[in-house]
Amino acid sequence: MKNVTDSFLSLGYWSSAGSFGFNTDILATNLINLSVVFGVLIFFGKGVCVNDLLDNRKQRILKTIQNSEELRGGAVEQLEKARARLRKVEMEAEQFRVNGYSDIEREKLNLINSTYKTLEQLEIYKNETIHFEQQRAINQVRQRVFQQALQGALGTLNSSLNNELHLRTINANIGMFGTLKEITD
Amino acid sequence: MNVLLCSINTLLKGLYDISGVEVGQHFYWQIGGFQVHAQVLITSWVVIAILLGSAIIAVRNPQTIPTDIQNFFEYVLEFIRDVSKTQIGEEYGPWVSFIGTLFLFIFVSNWSGALLPWKIIQLPHGELAAPTNDINTTVALALLTSLAYFYAGLTKKGLGYFGKYIQPTPILLPINILEDFTKPLSLSFRLFGNILADELVVVVLVSLVPLVVPIPVMLLGLFTSGIQALIFATLAAAYIGESMEGHH
Repeated sequence: MKNVTDSFLSLGYWSSAGSFGFNTDILATNLINLSVVFGVLIFFGKGVCVNDLLDNRKQRILKTIQNSEELRGGAVEQLEKARARLRKVEMEAEQFRVNGYSDIEREKLNLINSTYKTLEQLEIYKNETIHFEQQRAINQVRQRVFQQALQGALGTLNSSLNNELHLRTINANIGMFGTLKEITD
Repeated sequence: MNVLLCSINTLLKGLYDISGVEVGQHFYWQIGGFQVHAQVLITSWVVIAILLGSAIIAVRNPQTIPTDIQNFFEYVLEFIRDVSKTQIGEEYGPWVSFIGTLFLFIFVSNWSGALLPWKIIQLPHGELAAPTNDINTTVALALLTSLAYFYAGLTKKGLGYFGKYIQPTPILLPINILEDFTKPLSLSFRLFGNILADELVVVVLVSLVPLVVPIPVMLLGLFTSGIQALIFATLAAAYIGESMEGHH
């Protein structure tokens, strides 16, 4: 009882003290209980908080990071594969392009050659046709001139043919035949 | 007989002293025209220093795989985000800092009152205790919460926010208006009452039986302090979420 009263009194005394200072009474400042509570808190806190929550959290983070690393590795690998395929396809496309160009070039040359040949042939045909036409025209002209000459000759013959000439011609022919006979004999 | 009477008298005087110590006395500072409770300010500064210091230590050397203190603080942050998300909903992002500040400040305040040996330092008047032991602190926190949820509602819905006062029927208008006053009132009184009661019980028990007996009560005090911090933060988040949610 005395002790309790003393402690009350001392508490009252300190609280009404008029300046800053330090209270050195271990019981009144509750130091022992506080340190026990602190110890209990740290003990259980370490057990529950650190071991369960924080370690689990750390493990989870580690696992997540690992998973992401793996995923990243896979993604990088796929990217590499895709890049390789892209490169191959690009090369093929290049080849196709080059081949296509050369094909087109060749086709063009072929086409030009064949057209040129056809043109040459046509030129020859044309020349031949022209020549032929020329020949025909010349022949026609010649025929016509010949006919006219014959008609002229016939007219001349008809107009200048009379008895005397007739006789003369016959005589001349007879004489010619007579000489021919003498020669053959 | 005389001795006994004298003893009883001193005992009563001691009891009055104790009650005077716990609730009545404050260490006043005069700032401007105001009298402020200096012991609350001092302990608040200590709490703020603890929070800032540990936060600075935690973020000083951040690792990809968090080490001890960083891991702990990330866990705390996750916890606060979780609380905010469950209470506020999808748009909880901007409010995490507010809720987290409330929770951490109240939590560390409460635990500092329950764990730190404040009584070693002696003031001219009053004594050092948890900042939340003083009703001014808790009222300030609760009014901040009120401002926060008004701000949240008004920025989200504009003046249409006040439409919730006549929902579901206009008859409930007085009750809805009353709610805006009871919310900070209940928040502040709950926190203040719990912490003050905790510390009073511990002090009275210590003065009666200085050793061992107060320990279970102190442990219980730790538990309720944590719970009170969580309740305050959760309710603040819930009020903010309630004022932001749509009524259509």
